[in-house]
Amino acid sequence: MAQTEVSTAPGQMAATAPRSRQVDAPRWSYLLFVLPFLVFFVLLLVIPLFWGMWLSLTKADLFGPGKFLGIDNYVRLFKDKIFIGAIWNTVYFVILTVPALAVIGLALALVLNRPTRTATVLRAIFFASTVLSVTIVTLIWRVVLIPDMGLMAAIYSWFGAKSPSFLSSAQLAMPSIAVATIWWCIGLPMMLFLAALQQVPREIYEAAALDNANRWRTLWFITLPSIRRTFVLVIIIQIVMQFQLFGQAQLMTQGGPNNASRPIVLYIYDVAFKRFDVGMGAAASEVLFALILVAAMAQYFVSRRRGED
Amino acid sequence: MPNFMKGLVIAAASAAALTAAAPVAAQTEITVQRFFGTCDADWGSNTDVAKAVGECGIITSQINKFMADNPDIKVNVNTVEWPGYDQLTAQMASGDPPDVVTIHASVLSDYQQKGLLEPLEAVLASAGVDPASFTAAGREGVTKDGQIFALPFDNHAMLWHINMNYFKQAGLVNADGTPILPKSVDELLAQGKQFKEKVGKPYLVQILANERAAYTRALYIYLMQQKSDFFADPKKIKLNTPEAKNVLQMFKDLYDQDLTTKDQDYPAAVAGFSNGDGGAFLNGTWIIGDLDAQSHAEGNPLSGGGYAVYPYPQLFGGEPGYYSDGHTWAMPKKDRSPEQIAAIGKFMKFMADNNFDWSRTGHLPAMQAVIDSAEFKALPHRSTILSIADIAKPLPAAVQRQFAIQDIIGEEMSSAMTGDKEIDAALTDAEARVNDLLANL
Amino acid sequence: MTDASLPRSANVVGRSTGDRIILIATMLMALVMLLPVLWVIGLSFKMNAEIKLDPNSVFHIPYTLKNYGDVLSGSNVFRWFGNSFIVAIGMTAGVLILSSLAGYGFARLNFPFKNVIFIIVLFGLAVPEQAVIVARHQIFSVLKLHNTYQGLILPGLSASFGVFLMTQYFRAIPREIDEAALLDNASRFKIFWKVLLPLTIPAQATLGIFTFLGAWNDYWWPLISATKKEMFTITTGIASMQMNFAQTEGLGFIMAQAVMAALPTLLVYLFFQKYIVTAVSGSAVR
Repeated sequence: MAQTEVSTAPGQMAATAPRSRQVDAPRWSYLLFVLPFLVFFVLLLVIPLFWGMWLSLTKADLFGPGKFLGIDNYVRLFKDKIFIGAIWNTVYFVILTVPALAVIGLALALVLNRPTRTATVLRAIFFASTVLSVTIVTLIWRVVLIPDMGLMAAIYSWFGAKSPSFLSSAQLAMPSIAVATIWWCIGLPMMLFLAALQQVPREIYEAAALDNANRWRTLWFITLPSIRRTFVLVIIIQIVMQFQLFGQAQLMTQGGPNNASRPIVLYIYDVAFKRFDVGMGAAASEVLFALILVAAMAQYFVSRRRGED
Repeated sequence: MPNFMKGLVIAAASAAALTAAAPVAAQTEITVQRFFGTCDADWGSNTDVAKAVGECGIITSQINKFMADNPDIKVNVNTVEWPGYDQLTAQMASGDPPDVVTIHASVLSDYQQKGLLEPLEAVLASAGVDPASFTAAGREGVTKDGQIFALPFDNHAMLWHINMNYFKQAGLVNADGTPILPKSVDELLAQGKQFKEKVGKPYLVQILANERAAYTRALYIYLMQQKSDFFADPKKIKLNTPEAKNVLQMFKDLYDQDLTTKDQDYPAAVAGFSNGDGGAFLNGTWIIGDLDAQSHAEGNPLSGGGYAVYPYPQLFGGEPGYYSDGHTWAMPKKDRSPEQIAAIGKFMKFMADNNFDWSRTGHLPAMQAVIDSAEFKALPHRSTILSIADIAKPLPAAVQRQFAIQDIIGEEMSSAMTGDKEIDAALTDAEARVNDLLANL
Repeated sequence: MTDASLPRSANVVGRSTGDRIILIATMLMALVMLLPVLWVIGLSFKMNAEIKLDPNSVFHIPYTLKNYGDVLSGSNVFRWFGNSFIVAIGMTAGVLILSSLAGYGFARLNFPFKNVIFIIVLFGLAVPEQAVIVARHQIFSVLKLHNTYQGLILPGLSASFGVFLMTQYFRAIPREIDEAALLDNASRFKIFWKVLLPLTIPAQATLGIFTFLGAWNDYWWPLISATKKEMFTITTGIASMQMNFAQTEGLGFIMAQAVMAALPTLLVYLFFQKYIVTAVSGSAVR
């Protein structure tokens, strides 16, 4: 839930403010309404953004000014197997989580889009985990997956088997984090799909019912096309969110074993705060920024096209 | 000149403090930051240090005792998750570090090189602590560029914690009741096999999941035994050596032949050994106290005094060598009042004077007087591990980022052991990563 | 999302055997969803020694309240809770005030460079926290803002999302409403305050809930900014407890702490469920 800024209403997004009326001559004094926000925006976002870009070109630690290096940090970064691995890990994680979130979210929305008490309760359950903080979520999943004393250990023991050690196996660590993440994040896509389903004009269904279209045909030819854009939107929102994986990996595996579950953000954190190498950490965060910008741009263009439809 | 100014300010400040001395003396506040866990539920109000057991219990009680003895000093304890360096670094970056903080001897130089630690001679001297009273290893660990930068309060090393009940069952006990330990790699594997056949459990209990320190420390111990000077140049490690290969191959053989527990992380391995998962547990000095207490309790795999502890056996011939690290109390640079500095001195003095209490955890004391005391020698199992107090050494003092190096080596070793990587590749990668780190400090 | 607002389900999925099976499968899935939580609650009522010996011990007696007693008597959970509350409320109030003012400004008023400024602010939507966090940490160090409430609250005030949302909302209000007020010679601020702001309550609720939850669950920034135990938020405080299961007070205690920490959030969610759900769905698809 931390990345709320991505769940915007892009349908309404327009790059420019609406044209003001001719009678409305620009006045400096009106700037006062916007100024308080701009002060924070510039001081805490714009300046740090450019400062971060500058830092990425320097050899700096946390304790004092650095010296200018040029692009050395970036060169080192792309020669670093661990960083390249972190990019792949992040992509792998996105592939594990995003389609699952979209498909399960859609399926839940389709099933729970009904005005019954049961559906209300079930919706509440599926969304509840979303309000938990990452530390609670990871705590829950660590004691589920912990060898010998976890829930999985107990379940395996009923069948006389021994549970694998999910979080310390190079093959299972990332999928385990992905499962915990899907568990945590499933509420938002479900709600977005539910909201979209309610926007589908009822007349279309009534027409389909008159044509005696069966349920699956209705689903396939009417419902799904009507929420196509929401589907794309959910995918993009989730890509941007899951690209920023940090807390789950840091708390469940610390990126291990041997960096098999180290995402880009954890790499940044470790380089900047464990190895004091702020310049390189800043460089890595610029790379992540570029990747996310691409996704955000995609979101923008998709939402623009919606306006044209 | 700055020193003179400082002295003047301090003099003026203390004069002001004297004249302003109110009938009720205000408390001097200092912040102590430490790891070792939290155990407030059990020991939060205990001041009887002798009653406490375990690292957390003893340190919590010690600080409580210090406050009870010094009502004019208020200690704010900030407990961090081990090892707490991310936080300490962030605090130092923000110019707001604690007054006293636990730092491993191996990590001191990271902060000292950046000028972030206060040299301690003057503080210790005015509090009445003489660095000559430290053990040699303790003193070496805290001396950087000829100055003392922390108070050592223990030396710790990895050990073999042995379940004697199982060793008996495996026929691995001498006539005098001491365990039979291997003297070579072949013996190690043979005895491991014998143990497994007779007891039906793995010979070793190892922390293999999400653990880096244990592997690296074992590698250091065995490299030191083989006299491999892997840090001849403190800026460059040499790991792609036959000596290092020997060590990795040995651990891989143990792993491949199922002579060790697998997949246990730190807490699971501790619980596992307590529950009788295997014969010998490779872990540090710090759990001696807990395990010894367990061996005197009824109804568990260590009951009936079935616990012994020994240094890592000498497996590659050669002369004895051993790797150890130490916990220290350091004082980050910051503006402080003379009262606060005096209070910090008192705290250091208290910790030095009561070093025996801390040594009950299993750590080797950092004060020579404690090592020599009858009281210490009377503690269980100390006679079998005391030998390492003389031979154990840290890495060369000039090696920086030792924790980061430890992580890198541990990660690579663990992937070699589980077969994710070839031994040669793991050593090559570890060497390259460490050297890249050190080349870009 | 009230039940009444949902379309008749019969259109989508009829009441048939297939439908029942799907519903039952969904219920089973909900159960699987709940299982980890029940497991944690179960562990929180067990003695540490027992958990270590046998994971199945959760399913039978004895249970104990000791862990909860320990949390109540000797834990920082409540302090961390208070910190989280102060930070979340502070950030929510700040974001609502700044975003409403700026949203009105962008939607209704004309000032020099307005379009350029608006585009720059929109661009802020695409800047992830990671791109600014290192530099921000340095700036806050210089300003001595670490380990303070301001230090935890301020970064949240720079997010563009609220301004964007409020601008959209103000635009959606018919201009006739403020034009009528303008004829009465009301000042711009008065129009904003007396006439338009009350109309934006639903958007305020959406934004407020998002900001509150975001602040409550924020992890990375508090982790590096609030490094003293007494300044931890509940999120970082719980994180500080969970690394060393064996060395700290044991699994049961940590689980009890987690339950206590999660409970208020879940209660708030249950009470305000309707609004939260409306906020989430309303903000995303309109």
